[in-house]
Amino acid sequence: MKPAAFDYMRPRDVGEALKALRGANGEAKPIAGGQSLGPMLNLRLARPKLLVDVSRIDSLKEIKDEGDAWRIGACVTHAQLEDKALPGCELLAHVARRVAYRAVRNRGTVGGSLAHADPAADWPLVLAALDAVVRVAGPAGSREVRADAFMTAAFTTVLADDEIVESVRVPKPGAGARWGYYKFCRKTGEFPEAAAALLLDPERRTARLFAGALDRPPQPLDGVARAVAQEGTASADMIAAALARLAPGLGPAARKLRVTAVQRAILQS
Amino acid sequence: MKTIEMTVNGERVQALVEPRTHLADFLRDHQRLTGTHLGCEHGVCGACTVLIDGQPARACITYAVQCEGSEVRTIEGFEDDALMNELRAAFSREHALQCGFCTPGMLIAARDLVLRLPGAHERRIREEMSGNLCRCTGYVGIVHAVASVVQARGASNETPVAQAPTASSAPRFTPVEDRAEEKRQSASPVGAGTRIEDEVIVKHPLERVWAAFADMPGVAACLPGAEITESAGSSVKGRITVKFGPMRAAFAGAAALERDEAAKRGVIRGAGQDALSSSRARGDITYSLSDAGGGSTRIALGIDYSLQGPLAQFSRGGLVKEFVGRMVAEFAANLDRRLAAGTLAPPPAAQLDAGKVFWKWLWSRIKAIFKLRRRAL
Repeated sequence: MKPAAFDYMRPRDVGEALKALRGANGEAKPIAGGQSLGPMLNLRLARPKLLVDVSRIDSLKEIKDEGDAWRIGACVTHAQLEDKALPGCELLAHVARRVAYRAVRNRGTVGGSLAHADPAADWPLVLAALDAVVRVAGPAGSREVRADAFMTAAFTTVLADDEIVESVRVPKPGAGARWGYYKFCRKTGEFPEAAAALLLDPERRTARLFAGALDRPPQPLDGVARAVAQEGTASADMIAAALARLAPGLGPAARKLRVTAVQRAILQS
Repeated sequence: MKTIEMTVNGERVQALVEPRTHLADFLRDHQRLTGTHLGCEHGVCGACTVLIDGQPARACITYAVQCEGSEVRTIEGFEDDALMNELRAAFSREHALQCGFCTPGMLIAARDLVLRLPGAHERRIREEMSGNLCRCTGYVGIVHAVASVVQARGASNETPVAQAPTASSAPRFTPVEDRAEEKRQSASPVGAGTRIEDEVIVKHPLERVWAAFADMPGVAACLPGAEITESAGSSVKGRITVKFGPMRAAFAGAAALERDEAAKRGVIRGAGQDALSSSRARGDITYSLSDAGGGSTRIALGIDYSLQGPLAQFSRGGLVKEFVGRMVAEFAANLDRRLAAGTLAPPPAAQLDAGKVFWKWLWSRIKAIFKLRRRAL
């Protein structure tokens, strides 16, 4: 349970962090809270040569009100979001409170969760449902990637080795918007077996429903979302059919669990 | 080695540590503060919970170098803390410990709960304490102990749920945006168990494809991340580099080809070891060719795989399966592309780099190929 040896550096700003990552030829890993990377290091599943600690970079720790959206710095912790409800985005506090355990939430960050891209993690799913946009800092400046396209496969994102997540822009849903978030965990705080997030925004006329905790990135159930927006509900058969298309590897029990998570997210909204 | 400076239980300490030394080892081995216990050492059990800058954190997945300039408080640092003394008395009174191994972490988590959530009821206490495991008490005593301290302090600030559950009365509307979900569907194949299957149709006659498949180095080079170092007849030696999030491995080994001419079937048996982690991987790739009509050939691919050693500790089988499924899809796409180019000869060395650029390029190629394939079918 002791990690293999690695070197460690703590850059002062984003530029310095990117430079360090670029100079390491893919042998470096950025670390923020380290709540996902730490266990992998201790188990020696991950053996980077260098850790670039971005957790003290002030510009990554800001939460800003941009009028129609909240901009959340990559190194904002789950606990910060849990403790401070952001008007218009109350779902964030609801979700943050349910990420792992308080001792983990105090250090784990939103950007770290996105970059780590565990398919069972809360933020990749919820930020996709909220139609958030991820700002990525790289050698050629910043670029923006939609949260629902950020993760390309389990533990794989669009990030290059010399890029880091800078912030996430979460649009404030319109007045009267409703949301639902449900996850099945065998034990409180463990990674869920099934999860679903729904946003119904009549003012903007958008309905977004995603199934998470699959073996792949969160999957959009657009047809189901549309039915829920129009009729207030969707049949289990319809949800099961959508999941069969989007996650064909699921066995009957696994699919049933996911159908139920989607139904409960809908009921909650 | 790095020189670090931090405050531990109110005292400035300075030490020379390896970056990989986690905070719990630093506290126990360097500071002789053995009240911080190590259970699982990967962030699950909570026994090592300490306060870092006033907030509970796992000392086993926080490295000492990350605590430069921080204030760390361990169970030994609460001698004069009134609330901690109340909790200690309550733990004794309610039989909230037996062997005591989890107790330091329990007390630190409980103290934070009491301060942060005045008036917390039993269910919330259970939820909040769920990050600390106890194998002796069954938790009842612990929950009673924490609840008694919460009650003694009075006053509730528990807030009701953020929105009332009234799904049926929510306004109906027709969303403007309707992104066809089929368009974003992933093409990765997933099979049952540790066998994964995929299929690809190439626009070349069966005999030609069969002949091309006899070129073992060429076929092996179609595996993403593969690098052939030696080849002799139907066997090759080489290395396959895989990257799975923060995990990387380079399995060096050999592969051999067996062919059944009559059935147009073949199996490539490969096995290798990752020198860094001493993990071993084995994989059998089977292929079966059949005439798809119109001068095209259907290639049915299957892979059986297993992983042993430290990397197999990664206990999320479904994710590994999905990953191997993507590799098979990429293998199929590479075969298709290379056959289309008229040869199975190994590509230029640069393409064998499993780096991000290659990966991205490959991924876009696969997407394009799979779209074409669907239309063709």
